[in-house]
Amino acid sequence: MTVVPRGFHLQARSRALISVAFLAALAGLAITERTLARVVQSKGTVMAPRFEVDPLWPKPLPNHWVLGQVIGLSVDAQDHVWIVHRDNLLGPNEAAASQNPPTASCCAKAPPVLEFDPAGTVVGHWGGPADGYDWPASNHGITVDDKGNVWIGANEGNDAHVLKFTKAGKFLMQIGKPGQNKGSNDTDNFGRPAKIFVDSKANEAYVADGYGNKRVVVIDADTGKFKRYWGAYGNKPDDTSFGNYDPKVPPIKQFRSPVHCAELSNDGLVYVCDRPNDRIQVFTPDGTFVKEKFVATNTLGDGSVWDIAFSKDPQQKFLFLADGKNEKIYVMDRASLEILTSFGDGGRQPGQFFAVHSLALDSKGNLYTTETYEGRRLQKFVYKGIAPVTKMDQGTVWPGK
Amino acid sequence: MTRIVPFAAVSLVALALAPLRPAAQQPAPPTFQVDPLWPKPLPNHWLLGSVTGVAVDARDHVWIVHRGYDSMTARTEIGAATNPKTADECCVPAPPVLEFDAAGTLVGHWGGPGGTFEWPVSPGGIAADAKGSIWIAAAGPPDIPGAGNLTAGRGRGTATAAQGRGTPAAAPKPQDAHVLKFSRAGAFLLQIGKAGQPGDDESTTALNKPAGIAVDTAANEVYVADGFGSHRVAVFDASTGAFKRKWTGGDTPFGTVGCVKLARDGTAYVCDRSRNRVAAFDKSGTLLRSGVVSPDTKGTGSVWDIAFSSDPQQRFLYVADGHDQKVFILRRDTLETVGSFGDGGRYPGTFYSVGSVAVDSRGNVYTGETLEGKRVQKFVLKGAGR
Repeated sequence: MTVVPRGFHLQARSRALISVAFLAALAGLAITERTLARVVQSKGTVMAPRFEVDPLWPKPLPNHWVLGQVIGLSVDAQDHVWIVHRDNLLGPNEAAASQNPPTASCCAKAPPVLEFDPAGTVVGHWGGPADGYDWPASNHGITVDDKGNVWIGANEGNDAHVLKFTKAGKFLMQIGKPGQNKGSNDTDNFGRPAKIFVDSKANEAYVADGYGNKRVVVIDADTGKFKRYWGAYGNKPDDTSFGNYDPKVPPIKQFRSPVHCAELSNDGLVYVCDRPNDRIQVFTPDGTFVKEKFVATNTLGDGSVWDIAFSKDPQQKFLFLADGKNEKIYVMDRASLEILTSFGDGGRQPGQFFAVHSLALDSKGNLYTTETYEGRRLQKFVYKGIAPVTKMDQGTVWPGK
Repeated sequence: MTRIVPFAAVSLVALALAPLRPAAQQPAPPTFQVDPLWPKPLPNHWLLGSVTGVAVDARDHVWIVHRGYDSMTARTEIGAATNPKTADECCVPAPPVLEFDAAGTLVGHWGGPGGTFEWPVSPGGIAADAKGSIWIAAAGPPDIPGAGNLTAGRGRGTATAAQGRGTPAAAPKPQDAHVLKFSRAGAFLLQIGKAGQPGDDESTTALNKPAGIAVDTAANEVYVADGFGSHRVAVFDASTGAFKRKWTGGDTPFGTVGCVKLARDGTAYVCDRSRNRVAAFDKSGTLLRSGVVSPDTKGTGSVWDIAFSSDPQQRFLYVADGHDQKVFILRRDTLETVGSFGDGGRYPGTFYSVGSVAVDSRGNVYTGETLEGKRVQKFVLKGAGR
């Protein structure tokens, strides 16, 4: 610990205190010595994207609408922000105006799919059960692909399917049938699929499958036909139960449900959220294992690796990871998968999280998050450029701080 | 640290008031804007549970009481407070009583079980009296139909610790039936009533899930909204706790007595929550007048808590309606509703279960949200009512 000499002037003194706090934060995060050396080596000039929450985005919803668990998020080519939420989980006290008869003037369940323009105004809404397809018992994950199709996953016990719609909500395709999942080697159904990524060049969709199964599935994006699938380390997936995650025993050779995301980078690497195993696994598009990264390995239960998005530069230099258990967003170097910094903290105020579940970026580099459980929000973090990292754990990032 | 929010940004959510009728002789109600960055983030990865009470003291410090661990989901919300821990640092329940300065910085915290008094199973209202004492009602867990959210895994210490679902369940504590008085530093001063020994409307020693407190410092009396179990207002000596008098509603018997608040002119206003009614009494319990707020509200009812505007005459009365998710503005003289602000939601300026309201000396309004709202919010006075 630095001893501050008498007469040490205030600025230098606070700088010393900051560096002590910084080192303490690093130690607290159990950063490897190698990373520490890297950070300190170049005079703290590790550079990373910086963000500030916009506390007044989105605009208030119309019609006294309220959100249930916001369980999926995507930004389309026009920088419109799409969410899917579980309107069915809004209870009679909170959705008092949706009861029959209503018990109060507020609130009403918002439709499950909502589209916001960049200013945060609701400009579209649809979703829910209809003839011709099986609306999920519990919707989960939303993705708008480059062609403007909207994909939705499903994670209730019997859910085994993925749905594809137009942006206007017109039904296009259903892959899989509820109740028909035959496990992680089924080639017609999914097992409570969590999220979809669409590779428009190859016309393939990557499905993180899921809460029931333990694999990544690649399908033809037009026909829905299964093309290939794989488990952890590229192994054939196996539905054997391995019990609860335990950081003290060697990592298991299979994914642990839920497999929560599968995101393809521009340079052709698939990043998979192996959520309760606290790890990211990286593959080539054919399912060949490349490497893995463990994150916050003491995290039990829901795990630390919830959702992944890439920075908007062509090289996608940075990877953002949502951790809905430790309530923060990690900013990582995509090449090395080292954590450069993190922001966020637990709470219900702007910039804080309860179960931050999904994240996505717009073309300007602004980052959006959604929260499940009782968080129930969509939030926007304004991109403030690449800046030197001064704090490993930034906490709540408010404007002007 | 400097103030952060530009007015332009705040005005985006300026909370327009909706006058309910043409304002010929009506006073113009005050207007407010939410401060989305008040209070400042809590330290230590602390989380608020369901906030059941908000009060402002003579220094314009804002006091809240919240339900802490018992209102949190062990599996998902407080991973750093379970045994074993399931998350590294976040989050843990904040201490139940928190004191913020006017800038929103946390400057004090205390509360929880102690030696010579019975900490509530679940706190209700909080009051700061003119001598600096802090009063807390032991109201019991919220008794609200349909309040139970459908999130799986609400812990409450029932499941196995191995999965981080909380600590083994302790023996249930006796039912809340009392009121506590502390110094502002949290030193225990007085308890009225005993946990597990609920009284009825006639009792001179016992309460039954009291909801809120008001203190008449000049007369050294404490008024108790009694409450969620009984159906009365009871008045006690503020130093000894000796019973003095009570009343049960005037022309209409009380339903759920959610609050009692004293205006400067000595009028006692009572939240008759389940009847959507604000009832005004003199100090002896004689009904002066009553008004209905949001008459169509069913369920819990509309009148959850009351506060007064900060002008010398206290011309306006604010009613927190945790079922319609807004704060109504009433003329205090007629109890007519003249405006409202707020809407449902988890964003700044919107509410889930806004159950408490208080006003500082500058007329700013503070709200507390219970159930899964779990926030304290500040609404800056922009236009004084006239």
